Amino acid sequence: MISIFSRKNKLKIRKDILRGVYEENLFMLGRGRPALSLRRPFPLKKILLSAVVCLIAFLMQSQYIGTSFSPAELTANMSTDLFPLPAARVSAELPPDMSKYSLPPATDVSSEDTANTAEFSAFENSRNVPLSRMLGLKIRTIMIDAGHGGTHSGSIGKMGTIEKDITLDIAKRLKAHLGQKGGTHVLMTREDDSFVPLDKRVALTRETKADLFISIHVNYLPRIPTNIIETYYFGPSDDRNILRLAEQENAGSEYGLSDFREIMEKLGKTMKLQESKEFAKFIQANLFLNSRKHSEDIQNHGVKRAPFVVLLGVDVPAVLAEVSCLSNREEERKLNSESHRENIARYLAAGIFDYLNKGALTHEANR
Amino acid sequence: MKPIDEQDNVLFVGIDLGTSRSAISSSNGMREWIESYVGWPKDFIAEQVVGKPVLFGAEALQHRLSLDFCRPLERGIIKEGIESSERAVKEIIRHLIDLSKPEPGQKIRAVVGVPADSLKVNKLAIRRAVVEYVHTLMVVSEPFAIAYGMNLLNNALIIDIGAGTIDFCIMHGTIPSEEDQRTILTAGDYIDEQLFNYLIEKYPNSKFNMNMVRQFKEKFSFVRDINEQIHVELPVDGKPVMHDIKDEIRRACESMLPSLVETTTEMIARFDPEFQMKIKNNIVLAGGGSLIRGIARYLQDALKEYGTCKVTCVADPLFAGADGALKLAQDMPFKYWETL
Repeated sequence: MISIFSRKNKLKIRKDILRGVYEENLFMLGRGRPALSLRRPFPLKKILLSAVVCLIAFLMQSQYIGTSFSPAELTANMSTDLFPLPAARVSAELPPDMSKYSLPPATDVSSEDTANTAEFSAFENSRNVPLSRMLGLKIRTIMIDAGHGGTHSGSIGKMGTIEKDITLDIAKRLKAHLGQKGGTHVLMTREDDSFVPLDKRVALTRETKADLFISIHVNYLPRIPTNIIETYYFGPSDDRNILRLAEQENAGSEYGLSDFREIMEKLGKTMKLQESKEFAKFIQANLFLNSRKHSEDIQNHGVKRAPFVVLLGVDVPAVLAEVSCLSNREEERKLNSESHRENIARYLAAGIFDYLNKGALTHEANR
Repeated sequence: MKPIDEQDNVLFVGIDLGTSRSAISSSNGMREWIESYVGWPKDFIAEQVVGKPVLFGAEALQHRLSLDFCRPLERGIIKEGIESSERAVKEIIRHLIDLSKPEPGQKIRAVVGVPADSLKVNKLAIRRAVVEYVHTLMVVSEPFAIAYGMNLLNNALIIDIGAGTIDFCIMHGTIPSEEDQRTILTAGDYIDEQLFNYLIEKYPNSKFNMNMVRQFKEKFSFVRDINEQIHVELPVDGKPVMHDIKDEIRRACESMLPSLVETTTEMIARFDPEFQMKIKNNIVLAGGGSLIRGIARYLQDALKEYGTCKVTCVADPLFAGADGALKLAQDMPFKYWETL
């Protein structure tokens, strides 16, 4: 009798397991689990839940508007500038407890303005109006730079993921996203696994008369257990870690000292610096805020200055985004899935669109 | 119940897509395996030399200097979007299916076992790679396929020691969830790296490469002690010289043990104490790493302080995964196959 019961039990387990395998594979195909496996929530519960979500959303929106602008500021902004402050837009996306992952301290960005020359002061007061709009300029060409390539692998994760492969894939996806909008020519410094020296990347950007430059990289910080996101624009830095990173990313630049002196003169082009900083802010905000939706463990290392040669060489607004962190095992695992890389590309595209529009509602988080 | 004519016209296959070796077992009795390496001739001249558009396994290794060489599941995952990795997986699957010799027009229903990590992150990439060559497909984790094949459906811990990863899978009467499975990277490739470094340290003037080191490991691996000497011939300044590598083999193999023991105890400790005893008496080692001499005994002794336990090894590590996947394919009700 016991053996019959035991046999029946084993058969039931086997049957359940086979159904489990089937359901898992069905789920994998995106067809969802069969209704038998799902608990249907009570309709009233569903309705109440929706109502609560709507109410919270409404209250949060009111709160953000209240904290971002005083009524006077709001009126002033509305009357004098068609486009609200980008900082306000970014803050509108922050959750209430944002203080713990807020953008980096002012030293990272605002204190850097002292480096700018006096001729730039005219732009200082109108920093929220993009130069492209102020001067009636348009962004016709965007250059995407996939970091490393060929013999320069970049970082390699513990599972063998190679930075150059990830950056190329994200760059291609970003190109596709930007291309979908039309009206803008999107180019890449490399489209395959080839080594392109940094000076060639810069030359290519100049030759093609690109109006915007974004370089995609992946961090490797074994001492930091979490995933971090940070965006750089060109400028001097005293931070040893940043200088070490710059040394790594500048490897293979093939610039000589004489070239460097000539290039240094370009520092006078403060408009580029200022625009790069603005551009970096939008990229960083979009990357971090949207990535944060998928993972609690992301740290926002904000917008920073660093002496990356590739950023110095190009004449147009240029940023280098460290979009992820290969030393974090969970992040490395995620980077091997297409959906994660696709998301990163989407957030970069959203950052670019936000920079270009500055004020129009294109933020990825608003979708 | 499926119609007889349809039953006859279906070939069920179980595929074990491994980091180092991939195997296929099919319902027509064919059982084949290849090393999970793929190579494409680098240029026209290389193609003339190797005489084939694509090479697999040992043959690819032999001609690796003339090839764009790819080991697609290195470290247990496919690098999605990286063209060569996905292409290599496709080639391996196509080659394995060809080796199983399906009849023309025969429907192929496949269950593919993949490293647990790969199942977590590469589900769609695996489907894309396989779906071209089969009519219907299911993907499962390798240790689960092994457990199913061995009828270890309840109160068992399967430890699949592969080249790229060691996959742990606890079976408790249901399909294992992500929480029931763990993966660590200190596996066969890690031993190779350690052995390579130890040999360089001991014999700095001798010439050898990673492939040779892997062969030494596969031939001589052991933990604790064995009553035999291990000598291999390596060139020094062009002359073949015998080298004693016993200590280095032991050290390299034992370098994997701390993480193996630690993860095993962690996996067991997560379960209700009532079931812990049952699981401890049903630990099964699979994969190429289970062939390391003395490893089951070592693990059993290491776990003694937590109470009695029993560790065994699968009889046929090369085909345990593929056989389990085949059994799963054949047991799967017809209605499930039809709706996928």
